[in-house]
Amino acid sequence: MNKRVLTIFVVSGAALAVLPLLKLPAFYESFLYLVFHWVVLATSWNILSGYSGYFSFGHGAFFGLGMYTTAVLAGKFNWPFLYTLPMAALVPALFGVGLGAVVFRLRRLRGELFGLLTLAVTFVIATIILNTPIDGGPGVYLSAVPIPAIGPSPSATFYLLALAMMMLVLWVAYYIYNARLGSGLFAIHDDEDVAEVQGVPTYRFKLQALAISSAFAGVAGGVHALFVSYVTAGEVFNIVVPLYVVLMSVLGGSRHWLGPAVGATAITALSYAFTAGDSAVVGRAAIGLILIVVILFMPDGILGQLIKRFKSRRALPPLPTPVAPAVISAQGSSGEVLLTIDNVSKSFSGVKALQNVSMEARRGEILGLVGPNGSGKSTMVNVISGLYKPEAGRILFQGEDLVPLPSYRAAHAGIARTYQIPRPFASLSVLENTTLAGMFGGTQLSRADAAAQAMYWLEFVGLADRARALPTELNLHQRKFLELSRALASSPRLVLLDEVLAGLTPSEINNAVTLVREIRRRGSTIIFIEHNMRAVLELCDRLIVLNHGQVIASGMPREVMNDPAVVSAYLGTPHG
Amino acid sequence: MTFFASISRRSALALSATVAMGLGTAALAAPSGTPVKVGGTLALTGPLSATALIHKLVGEIYVEDLNKKNGLLGRPVEWVLKDDQSRPDLARTLYEQIVTVDKVDLLIGPYATANILSAMGVAQRYNKVLIHHTFGIPSLAKYDMHFPTWATGHVPEVTLPNMMFDVLNAGPKPPKTIAIVTSKFPATHFMSVGARDIAKKRGLSEVLYLEWEFGNRDFGPIASRLKEAKPDFIWAGVIALEGMLLLDAMKKIDYPAPQMFHYLPSPGPMLKSPDAKNALAVTIFEQHAPMMSNFGATEFAKTFNERAAKAGLPDTQVDTQAAASFAAWQVLEAAVNGTKSFDDKVLAAWLKKNTVNTIQGPMRFDGPSNYGDDLSKIKQVQNGEWVVIWPRASAKPGVKHLLP
Amino acid sequence: MQFPSLELLGQSLLSGLFIGGLYGLLGLGLSLSWGMLRQINLAHFALSFLGAYLTYQLSSSFGVDPLITLVIVAPGFFVFGMAMHWVFARFKVTPFNSLLVTFGLTVIIESFIQWVWTADYRKLESHYADIKFKVGAMYIPLPELLTLLISVGLALVTWAVLRYTPIGKAMRAMAENPKMAAAFGVNEPMLALLLSGAASAFAGVAGACLALSFTLAPSQIYAWIGVVFSAVMIGGLGNPIGPLVAGIVIGMSEAATMAVTAPAWAPLVSFTLLIAVLILRPGKI
Repeated sequence: MNKRVLTIFVVSGAALAVLPLLKLPAFYESFLYLVFHWVVLATSWNILSGYSGYFSFGHGAFFGLGMYTTAVLAGKFNWPFLYTLPMAALVPALFGVGLGAVVFRLRRLRGELFGLLTLAVTFVIATIILNTPIDGGPGVYLSAVPIPAIGPSPSATFYLLALAMMMLVLWVAYYIYNARLGSGLFAIHDDEDVAEVQGVPTYRFKLQALAISSAFAGVAGGVHALFVSYVTAGEVFNIVVPLYVVLMSVLGGSRHWLGPAVGATAITALSYAFTAGDSAVVGRAAIGLILIVVILFMPDGILGQLIKRFKSRRALPPLPTPVAPAVISAQGSSGEVLLTIDNVSKSFSGVKALQNVSMEARRGEILGLVGPNGSGKSTMVNVISGLYKPEAGRILFQGEDLVPLPSYRAAHAGIARTYQIPRPFASLSVLENTTLAGMFGGTQLSRADAAAQAMYWLEFVGLADRARALPTELNLHQRKFLELSRALASSPRLVLLDEVLAGLTPSEINNAVTLVREIRRRGSTIIFIEHNMRAVLELCDRLIVLNHGQVIASGMPREVMNDPAVVSAYLGTPHG
Repeated sequence: MTFFASISRRSALALSATVAMGLGTAALAAPSGTPVKVGGTLALTGPLSATALIHKLVGEIYVEDLNKKNGLLGRPVEWVLKDDQSRPDLARTLYEQIVTVDKVDLLIGPYATANILSAMGVAQRYNKVLIHHTFGIPSLAKYDMHFPTWATGHVPEVTLPNMMFDVLNAGPKPPKTIAIVTSKFPATHFMSVGARDIAKKRGLSEVLYLEWEFGNRDFGPIASRLKEAKPDFIWAGVIALEGMLLLDAMKKIDYPAPQMFHYLPSPGPMLKSPDAKNALAVTIFEQHAPMMSNFGATEFAKTFNERAAKAGLPDTQVDTQAAASFAAWQVLEAAVNGTKSFDDKVLAAWLKKNTVNTIQGPMRFDGPSNYGDDLSKIKQVQNGEWVVIWPRASAKPGVKHLLP
Repeated sequence: MQFPSLELLGQSLLSGLFIGGLYGLLGLGLSLSWGMLRQINLAHFALSFLGAYLTYQLSSSFGVDPLITLVIVAPGFFVFGMAMHWVFARFKVTPFNSLLVTFGLTVIIESFIQWVWTADYRKLESHYADIKFKVGAMYIPLPELLTLLISVGLALVTWAVLRYTPIGKAMRAMAENPKMAAAFGVNEPMLALLLSGAASAFAGVAGACLALSFTLAPSQIYAWIGVVFSAVMIGGLGNPIGPLVAGIVIGMSEAATMAVTAPAWAPLVSFTLLIAVLILRPGKI
């Protein structure tokens, strides 16, 4: 980890920790307690929702579970307060993981639906708590619970507890931000399917983020239970927590680990600025106005905007030095079967995209996969790379059947693909896009190694000078080559090129063909899907033709082209 | 003597007003010196703000009045008021600010049970007296120096239902069956559970018991179930506008309310609604005889009516909320005058030993948890106004308990 | 748990139907602006309540029939909606940023309401409230019936406009793919303004219906957010009929629960139902 950041953490944590010794009026300690408390809530929310884009409206549920865990254990079962805190973290975390285990399995449950689910869950929990002996109606009163003497006074104690939670959550958020988990979450944010196929274990990562997020919300709730000392369902399970954590994160900037902290501090301080009795109502309106103005003029959030301004002024860190990756090895010798598609079928709502397709790819060859539009070529690529699971059949790669495994394992086994319509991660630079593939693909490189190799591949495809650009700044040709560099960055044993030449000019096509040959020379096997017949004939060792989801011909390119069945299926005259 | 130098602007105005009035009461010097700071919060914004406005008005009226006369021990009074936005965690922090930063001399309580509990915790830590006016669950108040001016006695969950059933039994049609429907808002729920208990002890047959979550919007099914159960008497534990919503729902299905008691309704809207005809509620003060003879009542009622109208409040009458609030200030003033001190321990000791004459009648604080007499009365909506019907001694002269 | 009489159950379900209709009406504008303009308009609720208060005031002070007040309120809100969208477009506000902006707007509107009308409860006493119909043993109060009819009517009209009229199709195209639609000649800025205006006008209509049936208080704004958001999300963003159907399901399932067992369990039933639907059939109902 960055030494400088670590130092700042330790120093600021220590400095804040000695504040109680200044014997300031208790109010300041309580005020800062509230600020830290909201920093914990907002930052923990952001770890899941800001990083991955899975917008949760249920943070209040985890907070409430934590609050009630402490209230019941300390208030009704007389546990010492501090011992309740690990439970206050554990109960919501278990609940969150349980919820996520079910919900994250559902492919189609993205975006707003996840938000709805988490909101609904909050109401369910609130009702259960209100109607069972956990609360039952009168609320839980904690005045008899002794406040541990961590600080010189009760308010100092709460201050220190909140400080500890805050330093911990900020550290965790920072760590995740720079770790594989964070990169994976950000990739999920932009395009979850692509991330999965690139080898990001999306299911596991989302669960981890959810568990961490809910644990922190829970422990913050546990401490807060004793702070307010009277816990009622109506106070705990309302719209305030779920809504405010979103507002704070967005205000501060949800793409950065420190953003929510900035937003939380701003909004909490703002709530206090207008507490004088005379101007209460007007003050509230002023808060609304300030929020509006800030976000209109700082759309990336306060921190996001500041970083943007800073970035343009500071010198950029140097690009990594390119390092050539090792030559790719695959088991077995040249000519041996690498991939076997065994009787695979795939339907979509009744439409049979693939029907009992069997084929094989041999090590070191360039295998062409052609057919008219709608014949199933792209579906085949999607099935091999793991994006779809077939209803029947096996996909044996180096002897291992990929079908029963989670989708990301295809990448780990050494399969990579490009997308016909490029699907880069829109918020990541060209270099970051390519680095990610190296990190999560078959080679599982460290970030530094992956970045170095990524530079090599960017040079290989000719994009090295656009390394820092965002995908939106690239033209189609460049984006296609970005697809290529991403596919190569994981040093795959099998590369699936899905219409990589579509939309390119003739000279760009020549360039691409040279690249494809070079890729094979370096040790990859290639399945090449194309409409451009000239390129197909030039490059492919063998050809397989699909029509209506079935294989209608396979063999040497020239033979296959002259096969009457194929001709009648679609082959027009080859382009010059 | 630095009389003019240290005079605050407030007291300067008070002084000139007094001079202009021609010095109504002789020998009362205008207050002077360093202001006495009385600090507290109110829920001026947020869900509880409807009632908090009443308390704000009462406080303003009282403090102005104090400053027109002798202030507190001759010093002008300054009310440090903050908005706790209906949130207990804010209330706690603001009370800490009031005590440790604003360094007030005296505290006065916020609005509603949860916020009072927060304030109580702070008062306890700094050994300050907390006089408060709207605490709903006496058993939760465990601080030695708290003083409640909502004079319900220490066990309202027993005394109030008993009083209610006494009223009904002495009335034109004593009920045999009872339905209890209640919100799960803590202060309301606690009373409803008590009522259920007492009803059983007194041999009433419970035909329906329902609880709903606070925040429920649809009272149709509840009204339907009430109609089907045909109770002689309904105890409705309703808070905020739930009472109105329930009555509306009952009207929609042509179910005129039988004898019905509302605990903690919003009194104003009930007067305007024809469906609330002859509904019953609890009160400690109403703006009619004989309570108007209580200490401070007449003048305060007049001022409050005017100021409430000016503030745009739809209901300008003084009732339990305003009276409890006024009484809190009266208690504060009495204690200070009685001890000639601002020392919290001295004030507390005095309050526990003395009876204070207030707008609610004589109040004492020597019972369990500093609670005293139960000064509750039962009132009824009659011809568009609230009138006390029980105890007989406090009832408006000439009124009878009416059936709906 | 005692089994209720048919009459009780029927009346309760009817009650749930009516409140579901109101959820749908509140959700209609929200769904349109969220689904088609990618703006999460939290201020929709505050706006509805402002409309309710305006209806209350115009009706109480000037004796205007509550529904007629819409003649003033709806166009006014339409203009407000257009202005709001103009600001969003000018500043290129993203969906999540719009949540923040509209929250700020909510706070401002709520403060304004409190400043003008105080936080005390206001109830519109209108002649509508006295009228009810009796069908068999069932009571159908007029304000609730009106709300339901308005809700269903608006939802159907909106659906029909979006589906069959050229302008509706243009709006849907714009919602799906603005750039492509523009290439086909769709005037995206103008349509977006119209849509935003319409959504806010719908808020005003919902407000009038609120005023007819409910007691008003500024803090009540927040009481509806959770349930209406749920109805909108499950009904499918941009789908005019979705929030209505979802709202009715929520309202009726809660009412049935309240009729049959302890009312406090009602939210559990409705939201568990929602969760089950989501998990078993994610997407639209």
